[in-house]
Order: sequence, then structure tokens, then C-alpha cells
Amino acid sequence: MSSTELTRTDLGRALCIITGASRGFGRTVAREMSRLVKPGSALVLAARSADDLRALKVELAESEAGRAGLVVECVVADLGEVGGLESVVRASEEAFSEHMDHIILFNNAASLGDVSRYTQSFTNMAEVDSYLSLNVSSSLCLTARVLQAFPQRPGVRRTVVNISSLCALQPFRSWVLYCTGKAARDMMFKVLAEEEPDLRVLNYAPGPLDTAMQTEARFRTADPSLRKSYLDMFAQSQLLSCETSCAKLTKLLLEDTYTSGAHVDFYEL
Amino acid sequence: MTDVIPTDGRTLGRCICIITGASKGFGRALAHQVCCWLKPGSVLLLVARSETLLQELKEELKGFAVEQQLLVNCIVADLSTQKGVNEAVRVARLESEKENDHVLLINNAASLGDISQFSSFTDLDVVNSYMSLNISSALVLTAGMLQVFPRRPGLRWTVVNLSSVFATEALPSWVLYCTAKAARKMMFSVLAVGEPNVRVLSYSPGPLDTGMQKDILRMTGVDNHPFPCKDSAVKLMKLLLDDDFASGTHIDFFSV
Repeated sequence: MSSTELTRTDLGRALCIITGASRGFGRTVAREMSRLVKPGSALVLAARSADDLRALKVELAESEAGRAGLVVECVVADLGEVGGLESVVRASEEAFSEHMDHIILFNNAASLGDVSRYTQSFTNMAEVDSYLSLNVSSSLCLTARVLQAFPQRPGVRRTVVNISSLCALQPFRSWVLYCTGKAARDMMFKVLAEEEPDLRVLNYAPGPLDTAMQTEARFRTADPSLRKSYLDMFAQSQLLSCETSCAKLTKLLLEDTYTSGAHVDFYEL
Repeated sequence: MTDVIPTDGRTLGRCICIITGASKGFGRALAHQVCCWLKPGSVLLLVARSETLLQELKEELKGFAVEQQLLVNCIVADLSTQKGVNEAVRVARLESEKENDHVLLINNAASLGDISQFSSFTDLDVVNSYMSLNISSALVLTAGMLQVFPRRPGLRWTVVNLSSVFATEALPSWVLYCTAKAARKMMFSVLAVGEPNVRVLSYSPGPLDTGMQKDILRMTGVDNHPFPCKDSAVKLMKLLLDDDFASGTHIDFFSV
């Protein structure tokens, strides 16, 4: 960047890896990224739903970026399973080309956990282990693998985004798994930021998004006052569209002035 | 007995006290300290994997136990497994028929994990195994105990989470430990907001003279100038006896 601090208008010739890309925020990120990366870029979209990924791939192929040659690779994978991670990394290595100048990893895939139950009901180790595998361990291992596959080299920026939440900072009744997972992830990426000063690491809390996850929260939250607040948000049209939130994330990435490792919330901007 | 804590008749009551990771280090020191404050008829359940070390500890506490009419039981269990947690809960349940006025669960068992570059943690099974012992196990055990000892008038319920400064401070090469401690801090905060009748304390004990600290020195070369476990255990006792901490709070040794 020049000393006159001009903000970039694009994210370069990028390899963009997005987990949970088939719907919700991940899908919006995929669409946004397709518009922001320069020709010669590639998107690697990972999710469990083959159908939804295929539909997204078709949509992106027909977009302006797609017609200009944007490569879109879909990986049908369950990141909570060992094999899932490997297939995402392999696809990323195949999609990479030497003239790319930016690697961006969006750790977006996540699950809510059973919010219809209170903390004292979590007596099943397999349930908790499985939740942590997808929501905590997989983002550590995927990020580690991507950093190994794409080590630091001159002329190539590397950015790691963790889709965080207010729940990383604040405890909510009947949300023990989700809060625990988000708090774990924020710390994980803070450690990464401390370790690797040349890496750009962002914990982005997108705000309450109008997605399937939000619907689940609204209908299943056990705590009456918390459920009411989700119902009210919906009724009063206070939920954010994924596009609105993604626009702020994009701004953060383009300006690239955030402190690496910081937790930045949609509402702060 | 220690003269650091005021002896004004406060006790931990007729208590069922469960300490995990009781065979070594801080857990073992806690077992010694807690005995001083349990009223006759109390039960101390010591949970760890090593039967030998637990029996040794029980032997050490025998004098106290007899003098103060405490029942000390060892539970040999691997808390990283459902089976181990179930065993600990089963034995605790056997004690639940007795008249207790306090349940005190001290989640102390933990592991350091590998101290290594972030990018080295590529093995999902290794990371999952770590998170299972250091996060899942504490949740599942606490939940199990909460179910075995339902809240009722006249029953105090206290849960302690052995935490660390690294629950809030990120340290390069310590991703496993920091992540798990941050997770636990939040986990026990959620418990606190959800259960107003359970007193929840996250306690960061400071750098202690334990096997874990020796591992830290060996792996990182860093000398944290550890001090004896007993000093920290005494402070934790004070916090529990004063019992005026805000539930869900995180308190560090150096601030007491």
C-alpha cells in the first residue's frame, strides 16, 4: 500500500478458501469474494451439501467473475471428520497457482449445538466431543494444514478469518456449547496472531444474521428471556442480512488496518 | 493447620467434596488443605487415574480423616472417557443419600498438551483428544454431578474451575492449552448465569511447583519461578470460606 493510505479495491489474485460455504453467511462470503478477487483467482468452497454447493458453483460460473475465468472448486466434506480436512487442503493445493498473491481462509463452518437444554444436561461425552471436533478442532487443524501447505513467501499475503460471535465474549443461558466453542476459537486465533506477525488474523463477529442458524436459535432456545429476545429481533426486523454484515467484513479486509488477532464486531464499525 | 485463614468457625460444612486430578500437584495439595475445613461426616472423593498414588494420598490423610471423622474415598478413573466420568458420578451418587449441606466439585484434572507451533497441529485426533480431556470432561463431569445432587434448600453447591492466566492471555506455541482454558472459562461462566443456586469460581492458581511446570521448563526452557502448591491451595480455601466471590468470576492467585 502507498503512503497515502489508499484502500485497496480488490483482494488481489487470491486463493480463497471458505468453509460452510453452501448457505448462510458462508455463501454470501463466497459471492462477495467472487466480486472482489482479480482474474486468475480461485475459490475453494467446502460444505457437506453437494446439491447446495453445486447450485452455488453454477451461479458463480454464470456471474461476471465466472465468465471472466474465476475458478470455483467445491469440496463436499464434513470438517468434523479427519478425511474432510484433507480433501479441502488437497483441493486448495490444486487450485493454487504461482501468480496468486493472496491466500484467504474463512473459518466459517459452525453449528449451534443443542440450545434447548441447559448446561447440566450435557452428560454425554460423545455429544460434547463431536461438537468441539467440528467447531474448535477442525478450524485449528484446517488452518494449520493451510499454513503448512502455503508457507510464508515474498509477495504473497495470507489472511485468516474466524467467524466469531458476541457469544465468544459473553455467556448466554442454555448456550453452553456455542459460547464455549466461540470463546475457544477467539483464543485460538489470538494465539495464531501472536505467533505469526506476518499473518493477518481477524476474529469477526458478524452480528445477528437472518439465517437458518438464527431460526434454530429463535425456536429452540431453552432460556425464555433469551428466546424472547431472538423472537423480538425477528419481529422488529433487527436481524441483519448476510450481505449487510459481509459488506463490513469486506471493508475490514480491504482497509486491512485491523489489529491482527483482534475481535471486531459488526456493531463496532 | 494454617494461620493464614481466619479461624472464626467458618467451615466448608458437612460436605461432599470431589477433587479431580487429585493424585499429584495442585489436586493433591488441595486434598490436604480441604480436609482442614470439612465438618465431621463429610466425604472427600479423590479422582485420578493412578490407584497407587491415590492410595498413598489416602494414607497421608488417614490421621486427619480419623480425627475429623471424614470419609476419604479414591476413585480410579480416566475422566477423558465416558466410562471414567460415569464411575466418578456413580460413586458420588452412593454418597448422596447422606445428609450433606454442601457439594464442592473441584475440576482440577488437566493436561499441558504439546507446546508447539500452531501450524504443527494438523492431526484432528490429537487435537480432539486434548479438547476431550480438558474441555468435554469437565463439562460432562460437572453436569453429571449436578444431576446426582439436585439443588434443594439447605444444600450449598460450589463448582471450581482450575483456570490459568492463559485463559485470557494468548501465548505463542501454547494454542492447545490457551484454547482449552479460554473454553473452560466461558463454559463455567455459562453455568454460572444459568444456575443461580450454584456458586461458580474460576481460579487461576499461579505458576506452581508441579510436574506440569517441570514439563513447561523442559519443553520451553522458561522458568516461571513456581511456588509451592500449598500456598495457592490455601488462597483457594480462603476464597471458598469467604464465599463472597461473584459467581462466574475469574480470580487469579496474585489478586487475592
